[in-house]
Amino acid sequence: MIWATWRMHRSIFIASIAAAIALAVWLAITGGMEEHAWTIFTSHHCSLNYPGSSAICMSSLSGADSFSTVNAALCGALPALLGLVLGVPLVAGEIQQRTNRLAWTQSITRTRWLLTKIGVGALFTAAIVGALAPLFWWWTDAAQRSSHIQPANFDISGFVGVAYALFAFMLGVALGALIRRAGWAFAACVPIFALVRIGIRLYIRPGLIPPTTVSVSANTPVGNSDWYLNAGFVPLGRSTPAPGQAWSSYNLVVENCQGAGYGTQKAAHSAIYCEKANHLHYVMQFQPPSHFWALQGAESALFLFLAGVLLGLTVLAVRRWRT
Amino acid sequence: MAALEAVGLGKRYGRRWGLEDCSFRLPARRIAALVGPNGAGKSTLLRMAAGITRPTAGDVRVFGRSPQDQTVEVLRQIGYLDQERPLYHSFHVDEMLRFGERLNPNWNDAAARGYLAALDIPTDSKVGKLSVGQQAQVALTMCLAKRPALLLLDEPVAALDPVAREGLMHILLRSVVDDDTTVVLSSHAVSDLATICDYVIILSASRVHVADDLDYVLASHRLLMASSEQAPPLPPGVLVVSTRHSERQTNVLVRVEEPVTDPSWRVVEPTLEEIVIAYLREKGPRAETFGQRRDGDSSEDAR
Repeated sequence: MIWATWRMHRSIFIASIAAAIALAVWLAITGGMEEHAWTIFTSHHCSLNYPGSSAICMSSLSGADSFSTVNAALCGALPALLGLVLGVPLVAGEIQQRTNRLAWTQSITRTRWLLTKIGVGALFTAAIVGALAPLFWWWTDAAQRSSHIQPANFDISGFVGVAYALFAFMLGVALGALIRRAGWAFAACVPIFALVRIGIRLYIRPGLIPPTTVSVSANTPVGNSDWYLNAGFVPLGRSTPAPGQAWSSYNLVVENCQGAGYGTQKAAHSAIYCEKANHLHYVMQFQPPSHFWALQGAESALFLFLAGVLLGLTVLAVRRWRT
Repeated sequence: MAALEAVGLGKRYGRRWGLEDCSFRLPARRIAALVGPNGAGKSTLLRMAAGITRPTAGDVRVFGRSPQDQTVEVLRQIGYLDQERPLYHSFHVDEMLRFGERLNPNWNDAAARGYLAALDIPTDSKVGKLSVGQQAQVALTMCLAKRPALLLLDEPVAALDPVAREGLMHILLRSVVDDDTTVVLSSHAVSDLATICDYVIILSASRVHVADDLDYVLASHRLLMASSEQAPPLPPGVLVVSTRHSERQTNVLVRVEEPVTDPSWRVVEPTLEEIVIAYLREKGPRAETFGQRRDGDSSEDAR
């Protein structure tokens, strides 16, 4: 059955390898160009704040930045696309061509048939995305993107891409088995995958492991390497706003206390005075770079859990499937 | 134990019954002809027996096991040829055989290659490149090489030329004799099957009209003929299946339990084809109205 799975989906497997190699070559070339541009930029003592100070600074910076957006999008999209392209036809393709009627009347249970196919497909997906992961990492460094904990880099750094790909793969398999048409299943998978990924990134990831909170004075600058989440006045003794309150809820209290010209030297009262008078302190909440691997592990576990739920659904759907 | 048994088996598609209240017991080592017009429910019956369609009512058993359970034990006993002959079109014939070999412990590779060689089907060509008839032969080969105890073949001769039909019938007879296989073949043309079957299931309009040994079916039907002008009253104890009047003659096909001795009718033993056509034409009386025959005296073999 392992051989049969490979043979059945051979063309998609081979196309996936080809796409992965093409992306790897592209990343290596453009990443090398970006790295070189940064080397020139640094050796000419250029500054990010004044790139216009010389022609060479201008041109090296634009060269260093030229592929950043495209490459980040490619690195972000590949695991998802690969998972969907491999996952959707796994069951739906057979149902569409009626070959499920052939496969399910051989001397092997549907469950074994399904688990073997999923096993082969999942291992293959994980292997390709896993093989690309170090290259993605190298590229984010070569392009001198900000710290890996920042969302734009986090998604394409470390091993979380493997979990995204496996989730996409299982989403494709499950919807393929439920919808029974590869085209419709694919069309349904894309928005669902995007919603889950964006939803988790916006609402779950920030608190997936407890963020670091520091009490600071109101005008402390945000660190470049930290993933800044929230900042604001909160009651003394708390590190987050009281239940039912937003991070901005106490701004007005402090503003009113400071009077006209708040936030400047001309205010009637200093910010520190108003904080104390209202029993508030100013906190900043962020995920420091040291949380990177823990956060990668937690988010990967979450996506693998979702993939596991989809696996269970698919097994049920296939076992129950009748014309 | 019956090779295939249906009890009150039914399948509803929306508001329409594709097959309704179907009951029969097919003993082992028989070749059963499942005949009926297109849309009578033949494929539905076979698909339910293969476990890929779920019955709406009743139960179907293969050697006592429910194919709906989809266990390895029951799957190993079933060789199912789907109406659409699904095959992996991107596979070479060789690879199709390898697929069968890997998924079936009883696979007879030598026999499979023998069939295909006899049919001049090259094993190194792509399945998708073969003709429809050749694909049908490959699909049949997949069923036969699995060496199941029960072959469920949906319209197996449909895409075959007369020589290939002959060859298939020969292979099926051999496998019944050599391997104790039980065979169910469906067809809308009874003439395809009349030469080899020894059990008949007549389906029409989603109902089973006859499901019995061929000998009993032939013995229990008579064609009564008389002049149209002075047709006498029907003898007592007969059940009319179909009546045909022409200008000169009235032919009545009846089901009988006792021999008809009425001298006013000319009594002829009908052919299977005549019986089948009579049922299909008139939608026939339902089997149970006649009083279903017990199966006790037929020679059954426990497998």
